[in-house]
Amino acid sequence: MSHEMALAAYRNLLRSASIAFRGDMRMLSAARLEARKNFENNRGLASGSEEYTKQITHAQEVAKFLRENVVQGQAIDAEGRYRLNIHEHTERGDNEDIKKGKGNTLAGTKCCSS
Amino acid sequence: MFRTALLRSARQAVRAAPRWQAPIARPVARSSLFQAKQITPSAFQAVRCYSASAGLSKEQVEGRIMDLLKNFDKVTDVSKLNGESHFHNDLGLDSLDTVEVVMAIEEEFSIEIPDKEADAIHSVKQAVDYILAQPDAH
Repeated sequence: MSHEMALAAYRNLLRSASIAFRGDMRMLSAARLEARKNFENNRGLASGSEEYTKQITHAQEVAKFLRENVVQGQAIDAEGRYRLNIHEHTERGDNEDIKKGKGNTLAGTKCCSS
Repeated sequence: MFRTALLRSARQAVRAAPRWQAPIARPVARSSLFQAKQITPSAFQAVRCYSASAGLSKEQVEGRIMDLLKNFDKVTDVSKLNGESHFHNDLGLDSLDTVEVVMAIEEEFSIEIPDKEADAIHSVKQAVDYILAQPDAH
């Protein structure tokens, strides 16, 4: 875990944000500000410490989630229909995937524990 | 007689119909990373033509990168901005700012710079050289 890893995580996060929020300047700049804020908060962490590693992993997970599991929709008419911005990175599973509940995707995860 | 009149009116209708104009140039999309402080209206900056297949000149690339940095609000001392400026030593940008600058450069030239190469870009000159070496950059 080094300085470069933090920068790579930051870059990855910014890339994911621009994929997830393409065409939505308001969300995009908010996401970038939020990413920056969190990286600034952890600026003081010692490179290689446990907390440092944890924060970088967290950033990479957020990036993956934004890229694969966030899809934006835009209302296209008054009847409540939305056009979804499903892109090449969006995670798409079929029914079999959902039954299996593979470890590395969100497929098969229940939305609430109760 | 009747037929010629009909044809004439049909021809006129066709002529009057609004023709779809093929766009020959589209306005430059402003960088989404940095908002321009003020947009300078210039005939040459307002349109970008895709007809020319020739590569970018060094001056063009340098100019576009410098414009981008001029609009980056973290650059405190614009007077130090020139073709040789170092992002950290001259412009006072930290490593996170540098990541943002490099991403804005990617967006500007419609390319994606791999992490390893992106980490090696620390100055205007390095960025210009990298872009010039990319055949896909435009």
